[in-house]
Amino acid sequence: MTRWFLGCLAAAYLAGVWLDGVGSTLPSSILPRSANYFLQVSALFPYAALASIDYRAEGWVCANGANGANGASGANDANGANGTDGKWEEIDTRPYFPIDADNKENRFQRVMHFYRDNRPTMHALEAYLIEAHGEGRADDGIPRDVPIAGVRFSSLRIPLPQPGEPLTRSERKPLSEYPESERQLFYHTRRSKLEARCAGQHDSPGDESD
Amino acid sequence: MPTLGTRIADWLDEPVPLLRLEIVRIAAPLAVLGFMSSRLAHADEWIGDAGFRVPDLGGDWRQPLFIPALPAWLAWTLAGVMIASGLACAAGYRARPSAAIFAATLAFVALSDRLAAFTVSKMSPVVMLAVALGPAGSILGVDAWRRDRAAGANGAGPDGGKGLERPLAMQPIGSVRFLQVLPVVIYSASGIAKARGDWLHHPLVLWSHLHDSYQTPIAFALASALPGWSWTVFQAMVLAFEMLAPLWFGWSRTRPYALVFGLGMHAMIGLMFGPVVWFALLMMTLLVAGHTPERLVVKWSRPFAA
Repeated sequence: MTRWFLGCLAAAYLAGVWLDGVGSTLPSSILPRSANYFLQVSALFPYAALASIDYRAEGWVCANGANGANGASGANDANGANGTDGKWEEIDTRPYFPIDADNKENRFQRVMHFYRDNRPTMHALEAYLIEAHGEGRADDGIPRDVPIAGVRFSSLRIPLPQPGEPLTRSERKPLSEYPESERQLFYHTRRSKLEARCAGQHDSPGDESD
Repeated sequence: MPTLGTRIADWLDEPVPLLRLEIVRIAAPLAVLGFMSSRLAHADEWIGDAGFRVPDLGGDWRQPLFIPALPAWLAWTLAGVMIASGLACAAGYRARPSAAIFAATLAFVALSDRLAAFTVSKMSPVVMLAVALGPAGSILGVDAWRRDRAAGANGAGPDGGKGLERPLAMQPIGSVRFLQVLPVVIYSASGIAKARGDWLHHPLVLWSHLHDSYQTPIAFALASALPGWSWTVFQAMVLAFEMLAPLWFGWSRTRPYALVFGLGMHAMIGLMFGPVVWFALLMMTLLVAGHTPERLVVKWSRPFAA
């Protein structure tokens, strides 16, 4: 009896793996998500890459370099902070996401890949980075004693070379070295919130960023 | 004329070399622990409360199950249990319970953190469960050595003694059949997924995946040295191998060639795509264990089994 039960279970698993891989929605329609999840192992690299994709984060550094007062220098009119004094500086997220830090299996890259259009996750990520930087947990490229009032997240879409073209090794360069045409901004802290935080005001419950 | 059901039952009841299961029992946990090593080194960030956690999204399709972060001490304890059970399984020390515990820890971390979960994360609990359900550890490893020693102390010798006999080298083992079929099913589905995707009409799918952060020095050297058309040829070979895998592995005449091609393919994947090396090693383990010609496996089994 046990043997037959295990045999049927094994056959169902194999059928599920195959059906999921070939694009059938049957497994996902009859199984709980947590069970269906373990079937998703076979649809590997079905599509051509259109670009080499990397995700980056920046922090908003208030004009005087510290939360609590606004200054007048260092204005940066990039997306998400028009007219607000201060500037965006790249945060190196790798110290806060140390697993597989230098490749796309990194958890920061994955959270961007899966959840970049999910606001609750982006808000949680914003809070996490601001807190991690504020606590001075690691060297992230922005001085530890300079708080950040918000974040913005971008994807880099680096064009692929054609066969025969001279190739360069894949490497991580500072965000500022990539042209605007290769950057796509998809999340930033709301301007009013940046101003409020730079002025030393605390978030009120339920506040969210854009 | 036998029905399909009868033929499948006969195939399942046919004795297979026990060594096939032992190969998976030894090599799969090592490949899986290799994959997990970068995560285990940061267990508190991975599954604990020291790192970023995706919030409870209340049924969002991207979150199969929300599991809250573990306290750091518990995350490190779980990591320790995973390492100990994986190594114990590979060493053949209480191999079956070790494999079951290892499988449970693997299933937990796969569900706990989707961000660090990949194909190995989802496959490995099932592979280790199959090991736990078979007679793993009975001809190689600590358990087998202790049994032989106990048999010697009883004066029965390694080949005799009540309850201490060496197991038969060939016996019906459902787990082995499952592990033989698993890679073929994955290849078949993967090949069809590729055909439904870009692989039949885009000549440079493989080429397009050579330029991101997975790139190794070998991938860069090959991308620089080989002509563009060669990547289209490799692409066609991989697609033909995967789509027709049931034929290549089902027919005894083509099986050895399929084994060699599969091992070569995974070796190249492992060498060219950085962290994918652990997936490649897991698949190579399944191929070697499941599809090495029977006469070779039987020959290798002779020193260890009755």
